[in-house]
Amino acid sequence: MAFLGQEEQIREFQDRFKYIYTVVFIGLGMLLSRMVYLQVLKGDEMRQYSEENRIKKVKIASPRGMIFDRNRTLLIDNRPAFDLEIVPQYFKLATAEERAETFKLLSKILRMPASDIQDVLNKARMQPSFLPVKVKTDLSRDEVAEVESWKISMPGIQVEQEIKRTNIFGDVASHLLGYIGEVSPSDLLQLNAKGQKYKLGDSVGKYGLEQRMEDVLRGQDGEKLVEVDAFGRIKLEHGRSRVFQGAAEKAAVPGKNLILSIDQDLQMAATQAFGDKVGGLVAIDPRSGEILAMVSRPSFDPTSFSRGIPAQLWTQLLNNEHRPLRDKTIQDHYSPGSVFKIVTAIAGLEEGVIDANTKFHCAGKMQVGNRPYHCHKKGGHGDLNVTSAITESCDIFFYRVAQKLGVDKIAKWATYLGLGRRTGISLAREVPGLIPTEAWKKKRFGQEWNGGETLSVAIGQSYVLTTAIQLANLYASIANGGTVYRPFLVREIETYEGQVLKNFKPEIVETHRLRPETLAAVKQGLWGVVNSPHGTAILSRLPGMDFAGKTGTVQVIRLAADKIYGKCENMKWRERHNAMFAGYAPSNDPKIAVAVIGEHACHGASGAAPIAKAVIKTYLQKYYPELYSDKVIAARLKGEAAGLKLPKAPVQDDITPDDGNDTTLPEPPAPNRED
Amino acid sequence: MTHTAMESPVPHDESSLRVGLYDEEFKKFNWNLLLIQVVLFGIGLWNLMSATAVEDKSQGLYRTQLLWFGVGTCLTALILLVHYSFFSRIAYVIYFMNLLLLAAVLVVGKESLGAKRWIGVGGLRMQPSEFMKLSMVLCLAKYFENDRTVGGLGVKELIPAGLLVAIPSALIMLQPDLGTAMIILLVFGSMMMFLKIKPQVLIAIAICGAIALPTAYKVALKPYQRQRIVTFLDPMTDPKGAGYNSIQSMIAVGSGKLFGKGYKKGTQSQLNFLPEHHTDFIFSVFSEEHGFVGCAVLLAMYMAFMISGLAVAYQSHDKFGLLLAFGIMSIFFWHTFVNMGMVMGILPIVGVPLPFLSYGGSSLLTSMLGVAILTNIANKKFMF
Repeated sequence: MAFLGQEEQIREFQDRFKYIYTVVFIGLGMLLSRMVYLQVLKGDEMRQYSEENRIKKVKIASPRGMIFDRNRTLLIDNRPAFDLEIVPQYFKLATAEERAETFKLLSKILRMPASDIQDVLNKARMQPSFLPVKVKTDLSRDEVAEVESWKISMPGIQVEQEIKRTNIFGDVASHLLGYIGEVSPSDLLQLNAKGQKYKLGDSVGKYGLEQRMEDVLRGQDGEKLVEVDAFGRIKLEHGRSRVFQGAAEKAAVPGKNLILSIDQDLQMAATQAFGDKVGGLVAIDPRSGEILAMVSRPSFDPTSFSRGIPAQLWTQLLNNEHRPLRDKTIQDHYSPGSVFKIVTAIAGLEEGVIDANTKFHCAGKMQVGNRPYHCHKKGGHGDLNVTSAITESCDIFFYRVAQKLGVDKIAKWATYLGLGRRTGISLAREVPGLIPTEAWKKKRFGQEWNGGETLSVAIGQSYVLTTAIQLANLYASIANGGTVYRPFLVREIETYEGQVLKNFKPEIVETHRLRPETLAAVKQGLWGVVNSPHGTAILSRLPGMDFAGKTGTVQVIRLAADKIYGKCENMKWRERHNAMFAGYAPSNDPKIAVAVIGEHACHGASGAAPIAKAVIKTYLQKYYPELYSDKVIAARLKGEAAGLKLPKAPVQDDITPDDGNDTTLPEPPAPNRED
Repeated sequence: MTHTAMESPVPHDESSLRVGLYDEEFKKFNWNLLLIQVVLFGIGLWNLMSATAVEDKSQGLYRTQLLWFGVGTCLTALILLVHYSFFSRIAYVIYFMNLLLLAAVLVVGKESLGAKRWIGVGGLRMQPSEFMKLSMVLCLAKYFENDRTVGGLGVKELIPAGLLVAIPSALIMLQPDLGTAMIILLVFGSMMMFLKIKPQVLIAIAICGAIALPTAYKVALKPYQRQRIVTFLDPMTDPKGAGYNSIQSMIAVGSGKLFGKGYKKGTQSQLNFLPEHHTDFIFSVFSEEHGFVGCAVLLAMYMAFMISGLAVAYQSHDKFGLLLAFGIMSIFFWHTFVNMGMVMGILPIVGVPLPFLSYGGSSLLTSMLGVAILTNIANKKFMF
């Protein structure tokens, strides 16, 4: 029987229990002696640590990278801001009188009613009590000094130094620089899924370069141990601590700096030139694709966002008729109007349907089918070749060219030149614009292309939509002879110590060497726009600083025929024409290309060209003073002896009428909203 | 021949119990362990009310603990209704079911603090690795019940037994739960040592271990686990990171001095300086508030528990009961020793709960089941 057979074995086992008891006694004895050591022998010391030296881990916020313009003018900096906080877990430990006294003192120092402070505390009741509650942000220096001097009688109160992201030039360039904000729970999931380590309360780039370059700009937070007393007041930093002497802290690593291609002086010049006008401007170096200026008006001051946006300010921005939160250079697309005519001209010349000498007659209107197409000049321009057609912005001439080309050939050249697709600038939310083709219309609307629409496309109307940055890039590629660059904003990334980590090189997207005759004819026409007596932008002429370009004035709503020639300024703001200008300078050796969109600014010549002119002048005089400083120009003009008699011709408005033909004109695709 | 419940080492009948044929002590029901359990749980709950008064995620959790105690009491009553030889019969079934649960944890488990240890049952969470300790002891007791090896266990006996332990240990390491896996290995080791291992085999194992340990340290341990060992050897290398817990815990224990800071007045715990103050570090809350005197009383309670439990094993008259009781007691011993040792800085930080004091349903339930089985063994030794 197995069971009975166990008896001997069990007796044997029982013998072994003396060892087992020994092990247990030794084990528990060790624990007991450790208790004696810690609690009896070291008790006083340990008690002291816990009473006086409570060690807390404190985050050392790392500064975000700074952003500079091309000449190392500081654009975005981190500046200290001071907040007043209450730590409930320590505050609660104080007696009722102490708390009341604290409220009284605080309300006096901060000039806010004690009941408000109590409210803030009440609201935070649901969160863990060791988390500080912010009572007031952005304390003044005086307030900070006063709080610090009274601190000893205010348990649980602390002044926290935070970093405030500061846009030094306020609302200038805020669209491209962007802003940061507190990371939202949904951001958190997304960011941390990519292996980042963000916590609630951290800041993250939300818009513009701050968003796109987040990985570069963000630093690594450090940690340090501080000793706090029973009421949470920081006593000693760990280096001077008695408990953790010699323990190394983890230093914060600042984010990397960005050096932009932007020139702050151009930004200022453009902003000034815009004044109250609404719209956007992009200036590009045609030799590299570097963006020299990028301005969208009206704007906002990101500094007021960096520590949380006051709700009132936010709604105000959202509801503003002029949409300050949208970047009008890349997020909105517009009908380019006459600015687009050079594309038709290039297509015509390169496809061989016209040459530089081909002339068409403009009688002010032409009949297509049973419908008249008007030129913006009521009486007509007479006989013109392509150069004078560009200069005088004759609609009829380009209608004729378009009839010979067909829409698909125009679209082909528009696409070559970078239209109808995103330029690829490193900013989020860029819209691609639209260049229609027969196939596109078939697909989009299920309808055949109609010949009249081709005429509208030829003058940048109908379905054609472009962004300011596309137009600037288009004129840059004309200026450089047919190379389309990817526009870029960041030239260099460097460490906070100034060591260059990365240099960004120009990137060619497309090259279509245009024939010299084509370039000559188009460029001559563009020069004429600004410099010939018949040019539409003659008033923006810069003597001694030839620049070339094209104006455009685009109706935004359909007007009755008699109203087309009515005075734009008398209309409601929303109904006024959009003003366009795109060009480059100097015309013989282009160094800058500019596009301007003036929303409802009435005339390309008066609403857009002067803004471009201001930027061009600032740029040329700043970078090429040997050629364009006022003194040099005065000397040169004098040298040109006979001089140019400045023509006083009336301004021709090259308005492109909404031809009423495109009844299916789509609403522009709804652009992305950033809110 | 297999063992059946009807075979008894000492001939007796039902009436023999009633008339007190044997020693007076035996006819009375052995309440020792149940009583000590109630006292320890009472201290634990009272302490938990202080630990979970801290305003954080643990606030008010002692109520859940009380609920689990109710569940445990019901299970205890159930266990006392059957004879423990029943467990001998279903030992392997329990073991495999528990193994399945462990595997399920890895697939459908809930993750918390980077480890997958729980599976949800209704609204409650269960930690199969806790129960695995008990299942494994049951399984080993069953496995060695009929072992007749003379002169100690050899490789032939150790390898199958080792496999029975290695599989759940591996699954638990995968969660990863180093603490529980370590306890299982310690319990296994204790049981094997108790059963006696052939001296030459023991020496061979020691040599293999000396070679394998450094390799395991490098290969099997996660960086954070390695960090803990380094930190244990010298907490000051990383006082703000891995060493932080150890230092804060030691300060908590030591600052209790002779009589403690008073109930709910432990600053280290109440001010959140202590990590996991309601689970693994619960002892530091107790020792901070009740000082050396409180700790000594608590330790004495554990001592009484150990002695009573081992007495059950000692007095067991069949091998299965003896091994089972011994195994269960070694679980209690190692838990107590490792947890307190860790809190007081004489052992590295591994997540091991303190029986009856740490918050945690699965842990409490496992302890109570263990006590129930021990009580069963203590009271049924002549009752077949």
